Amino acid sequence: MPGSRAESGTASSNATAEEDVVRVANQPMMIRLKHVVFGAIGLPVVLLLGAWIGFFNVGASSGHWKVTAWFLQLAMRSAVRTYALAVDAPKTLDRRGLPAAAGHFARGCAICHGAPGELRSPAVLRMLPQPPDLALTVGDWTDAQLFRIVKHGIRFTGMPAWPARDRDDEVWAMVAFLRELPKLDPNEFRVLALNGSDATDSDRQPATPDVISDCVRCHGGDGEGRGDAVPALAGQKEAYLLASLQAYAKGDRTSGFMALPVTGIAPDEMAALARYFATLPPASGEHDQIPAEVINGGRQIAEAGIPERNVPACAGCHIGSDKNPIYPRLDGQHAAYLEQQLKLFRSESRGGTPFWHIMATAAQRLTDDDIRAVSAYFSKRAENSQQPP
Amino acid sequence: MSANAGLPLGFAFWFLAYGSSWVAAEELGHQQAKVVKPAIEPVAPAAPQSSNPTASQDPPGSGLSLFLSNGCGACHTIRGTEARGTIGPDLSHVGSRTAIGAGVLPNTEEAFARFVARPDLFKPGVKMPAFDMLPQTEIQTIARYLKALQ
Ligand code: HEC
Ligand code: HEC
Ligand code: HEC
Ligand code: HEC
Repeated sequence: MPGSRAESGTASSNATAEEDVVRVANQPMMIRLKHVVFGAIGLPVVLLLGAWIGFFNVGASSGHWKVTAWFLQLAMRSAVRTYALAVDAPKTLDRRGLPAAAGHFARGCAICHGAPGELRSPAVLRMLPQPPDLALTVGDWTDAQLFRIVKHGIRFTGMPAWPARDRDDEVWAMVAFLRELPKLDPNEFRVLALNGSDATDSDRQPATPDVISDCVRCHGGDGEGRGDAVPALAGQKEAYLLASLQAYAKGDRTSGFMALPVTGIAPDEMAALARYFATLPPASGEHDQIPAEVINGGRQIAEAGIPERNVPACAGCHIGSDKNPIYPRLDGQHAAYLEQQLKLFRSESRGGTPFWHIMATAAQRLTDDDIRAVSAYFSKRAENSQQPP
Repeated sequence: MSANAGLPLGFAFWFLAYGSSWVAAEELGHQQAKVVKPAIEPVAPAAPQSSNPTASQDPPGSGLSLFLSNGCGACHTIRGTEARGTIGPDLSHVGSRTAIGAGVLPNTEEAFARFVARPDLFKPGVKMPAFDMLPQTEIQTIARYLKALQ
């Protein structure tokens, strides 16, 4: 055994000498591997550890490093540009929603972005990134890009997404308003967004809650709706108005424009608001010229439906004072508003009172032409008259 | 060495964690949308009241006036009334049929009430909407009226 040991000892000493040579030759290689492994596993662990013990400064006061700010802007702008490629922008923006969008901007966006003639709070100015003055920056973006930003928001910046799903029509109205914004002076902005300040304050009934001054910015002091996209409430059935407000508040009916106004309204205030608007004299109807054959086509649908396509007669639920009080009256309502609601019903995205899916059934097989005709007909129709004026 | 290999890899890790989900703030937005909901639960929607007596000869709350006020007449005909819809079957003598709901239900008052509340349960793909949001008493009154249509 000892002999063999000595033997193996000499052999091994030879071997170790050789191995040493090999080891020396291999050393840089092994170091490289080790470092790569450390880079792949170790560094993220160190970063995580750093984040966990609070090493990184998340304070906003000192701003980003120049390189970080540059990188974040690059990432944001590139992503908006790429995602906006999938957006199908209309050739011309629909301007009928301007008053509603301006009204929403004044309450929902100006707090961060400012507005003509409105100073921002110093707290907002210290946000990181600071919300830009949109009057100065909208020119940098295409319509599709603005749509993408307003609909989805921007992560990690505080820029919120649109508060309602399936309401691209509202987002486009906001884009149309953003295009107007740089042209507005403080006075024009106040008139467009705030209905020229609270004109109805003086003749307000004592029983109506203060929030009504918010409602009239968009729905008008006469309750007729400012602009074609804002519904007339004057003379609408009280039960329907109340159930609709509750539906917005519960999220059963989606609208970014109405989400903010119904926030925090107490149930008894809601009832008072519904009562107030229901007692105003009904909307007088629209006055723009619509070809007679369109109106007549609309009357046909309203009174007889389209039996071959299973479209029921609208009159069965919407005409006559003996109908369920939760079924809204449509007479004199803005045609553009009616059209939009019918499209939302047709795509099953309108929501509403517990009765809304009845209406979705009725709208399912309407074509765009049917919708235009029947909306025009009702917008011209006055209560208790068979012939529109 | 470690700086050369580690920095890009660390950056790649960071980018996977945060960067790739950079722009869209949908989830964030919807969380905010939830937050702005009022703290108070709104009261239940006003129960639909029965119809206005002036418009039909029938007393409010009767089977026929409930039938008309809830819009059944937009799809169904009952001869001798203003219900002249043609999308659904003519119900003028529905109470004397042997079976209803395409033959799956017996002709009883109870079956009428169950069908009107949830027609989709008895006939998938049915073109009649469910009326189960009506108060049960109103559905019952309509069912009694329909059963009496001989
Ligand atoms: C809580 C604050 C906040 C609110 C409320 C807000 N934003 Fe923003 N918004 C931001 C911030 C912060 C940015 C900057 C993001 C960046 O630079 O990466 C921004 C960016 C934008 C941009 C891109 C501008 C540019 O040139 O970079 C648009 C457009 C925009 N917001 C529109 C709106 C609209 C419309 C509303 C109202 C519906 C709104 N924002 C509400 C904070 C807000
Ligand atoms: C920023 C503008 C704006 C403000 C402020 C506003 N509304 Fe609206 N309102 C709208 C728009 C736009 C719609 C249509 C929304 C939709 O498509 O569902 C609407 C819809 C409604 C409806 C449903 C009408 C119908 O025929 O279905 C009711 C009821 C209503 N608003 C009541 C109010 C009340 C009460 C207030 C005040 C607390 C108010 N609104 C404030 C813009 C506004
Ligand atoms: C079987 C009853 C029924 C029939 C038939 C019916 N509707 Fe409706 N409709 C309703 C109900 C119920 C609502 C209220 C939905 C809600 O907000 O919950 C409604 C709401 C509407 C609204 C929204 C009004 C607003 O102020 O937002 C429009 C527009 C409308 N209907 C148009 C039509 C047209 C056009 C027809 C004919 C093609 C029709 N309806 C047929 C029951 C009916
Ligand atoms: C949008 C149109 C529509 C409305 C509104 C409607 N129905 Fe129907 N109804 C139908 C259709 C379509 C059928 C046929 C169902 C089938 O068998 O496919 C039907 C079937 C029925 C039947 C079964 C008839 C039979 O022969 O088996 C009864 C009973 C009935 N409806 C009662 C009512 C009542 C009561 C109301 C109002 C609360 C109402 N319907 C509202 C479309 C409608």
